[in-house]
Amino acid sequence: MLSVQKILLLIIISMASLTVGCSNSTFPAQGNLLYLAQATPEKPIGTGTTTNVSPLEQETMQVTIYHATNDAMFLVPEIHVVPKNDHPAQTAIELLLAGTKNADLVSVIPPDTQLRNVWVKDHIAYVDFNDNLIKKNTGGSTSELLLVGAIVNTLTEFSNIEQVQILVEGKKIDTIVGHMDIVEPLSRSEKIIKKL
Amino acid sequence: MEVLRLHRKLFFLFLLIIFLMPQVTLAKSLHTNIPKASLPVLPAIIENVITTDENLLPKVELANVRWLVNKDSVTGGNNLRLVIDTTGPVQVSSKLDDTNSQVIIDIPGATIGKINGWLALDGDIADQVSFATIANNNSKVIVSLSGVIDDSDYNVFTLPSDVAANKMFRVVVDINKPLPKAEYNFTPGLQNKVIAIDPGHGGSDSGAIGPNKTQEKTITLAVAQRVQALLEKAGAEILMTRQTDKDVYGPNDSAVDELRARTLVANDNKADVFVSIHIDAASNLIAGGTTTYYYPKSKYDVMLAQCIQSNLVVAGKLQNRGRRPARFYVMRNTEMPAVLAELAFISNPNEEIIINSTQFQQEMAQGIVKGLDAFFALAAKKRGGL
Repeated sequence: MLSVQKILLLIIISMASLTVGCSNSTFPAQGNLLYLAQATPEKPIGTGTTTNVSPLEQETMQVTIYHATNDAMFLVPEIHVVPKNDHPAQTAIELLLAGTKNADLVSVIPPDTQLRNVWVKDHIAYVDFNDNLIKKNTGGSTSELLLVGAIVNTLTEFSNIEQVQILVEGKKIDTIVGHMDIVEPLSRSEKIIKKL
Repeated sequence: MEVLRLHRKLFFLFLLIIFLMPQVTLAKSLHTNIPKASLPVLPAIIENVITTDENLLPKVELANVRWLVNKDSVTGGNNLRLVIDTTGPVQVSSKLDDTNSQVIIDIPGATIGKINGWLALDGDIADQVSFATIANNNSKVIVSLSGVIDDSDYNVFTLPSDVAANKMFRVVVDINKPLPKAEYNFTPGLQNKVIAIDPGHGGSDSGAIGPNKTQEKTITLAVAQRVQALLEKAGAEILMTRQTDKDVYGPNDSAVDELRARTLVANDNKADVFVSIHIDAASNLIAGGTTTYYYPKSKYDVMLAQCIQSNLVVAGKLQNRGRRPARFYVMRNTEMPAVLAELAFISNPNEEIIINSTQFQQEMAQGIVKGLDAFFALAAKKRGGL
C-alpha cells in the first residue's frame, strides 16, 4: 500500500515538473524563425556566421542580428557569441550598427547611425537612434523595408520584447524616408527573412 | 476504500500543485497572449490522473496550447500562430472545411490529454479552437476562423523537440488574416476612370540619389507625366498629386503631412485607383529590378499590384522582384486599391543610366497603363466584390 502511494506520488511529481517545463517553454522556433526566442539558449541557425569574441573561461551569450542579402531581397540572421552582460538588447543593436564581415551579406544601417538609448517597457522595446538614421539613408522603399525589418527582428529575438518603437533623437517618427508607416510599435516580420 | 483514500490524497496534492502552477505559468510567460492559452490547466490535470492511473502505457498526448497574432512590421499583414506541444513525435494532416471557414487538423496516435476541449481566441483571425479525442487514440483540432481563407492562407507543420531550448515536440498552425471583402463595381476599359498618379518625392525631398547624382524625384515626375498623357488619350481623368518639382503639402513639411496630402488628392476626389511611382535604392549597388508594392487591405489591391508588376516587367525587362506586401503610408491611407511601383534601382549604376533614357521612361509608362487596363478588365469580371 505504501509503495503504491510512493509510486503515485512520483507520478504526480514528475507530471508537475512536466507542467512547469511546459509553461517555461518559449514560443517555438522554426527554421530561421525565432519568435520570442530567449537571448541565450537559442542554437545558431541559418546561414548566419558565428563570431566568437569571448575568451574560453568567460560566460557568453548568443545575440542574433539581421543583415540583408546582396540582392536586397531578404534579411538573414547572423549569430554572435559575446561575453554575457546585463544589457543584451543594447549589445544586439550595437552589433547591428557595426555591420557585417560576411561578403554574402550587406548591412542595412545608414553610415554613422548611432544608438542613443534602448529600453523595454510592457514588452515594447523603444530604440532611439541619432538622426543619421534618416539623413544618411540611401532612400528607396527596399532599403527602408530592410532597415525597419532588421531593427525589429533583431530586438524581437529577445523573449521579453514583442514589439519595437523606433525613435530618432528621442522622438517618435512617422516614416524613415517617406514610404513606410512606422508611427506605431511594430511586430516581427517573418516574411522578410530568407527561407533556407 | 484504500483506493478512495488514495484518490483523496492525490486530489489534495493536485490542488496544491494547481494552486502553485498558474502563478508559475503567469510569472514565466509574461506575454499578454500566451497565458490565455496556458491557463486552463486545472480540469485537464485531474482528468489526466485518472487516465494515468488506469493505463500506465506511454502514449502521445497534446500537452499545452498557446497562440499569438503577429503584425508583420514589413508586410503589414497579420497572421495567427497556434502552437500545440505534444509529448512525442506526431504526424499531422490538415484541410479546410467546405465553407473555408474552419481549419481541421487531424493528429493520429495522440489523445488530447490535458488540453481543455475549447480555447477562445481574440477573433482577429480565429474565434476559437476545439480539441477532441476521437476513436480513442486520435486528436481532432478545429480552428474556427472569423473569416474565409484559401488553401494558400494557412500552413500546418510539426517541429521536433529541442531539449537545449526547453521545447517539446510541436504542431504549428499558421493562418494568415483573411482580407476583408471589398465591393467595387469596376467596368472594363480606361475611359472615364478617375486615376490618381503620384510622382514620388519632389521639391525639398529629392528622394534617393544615384551614384551619378540622378535624383529620384526627377525620374518619377517624368514617368508620371508620360502615364498622364497616355491615360488622358485613353479617356481617363487623371489626378496628379504634383505636376512640377514641388512638395505636395509645402516646402520642408513633415514627412507625414506630405504623404497625407498625396492620399487626400485621391480620397477627396474619389479616385478609382491610386498609383504611386518611385525609383528604388539599396545600400548594395548590385541590387536591381522592378517591384510593385501593395498593402493587403483588399484583394483588389493585390490584383492591381499583380497587373501592374507583370506589365512593368514585360516593358522594362529588368529583374522581376515580384509584387510584395508592404506597410506603406500611401497605400494604407487611400480608400481605393493602391500600389507603389518601384521601377528600377537608382543605386545600381547600370539602372541609373537606364532610368534617364526617355525610351525606358516611355516604356514603363506604357507598362503602367497596360497594367491598369488589365486590372479594370479583370476587376470587371469580379463585380459585386472580392
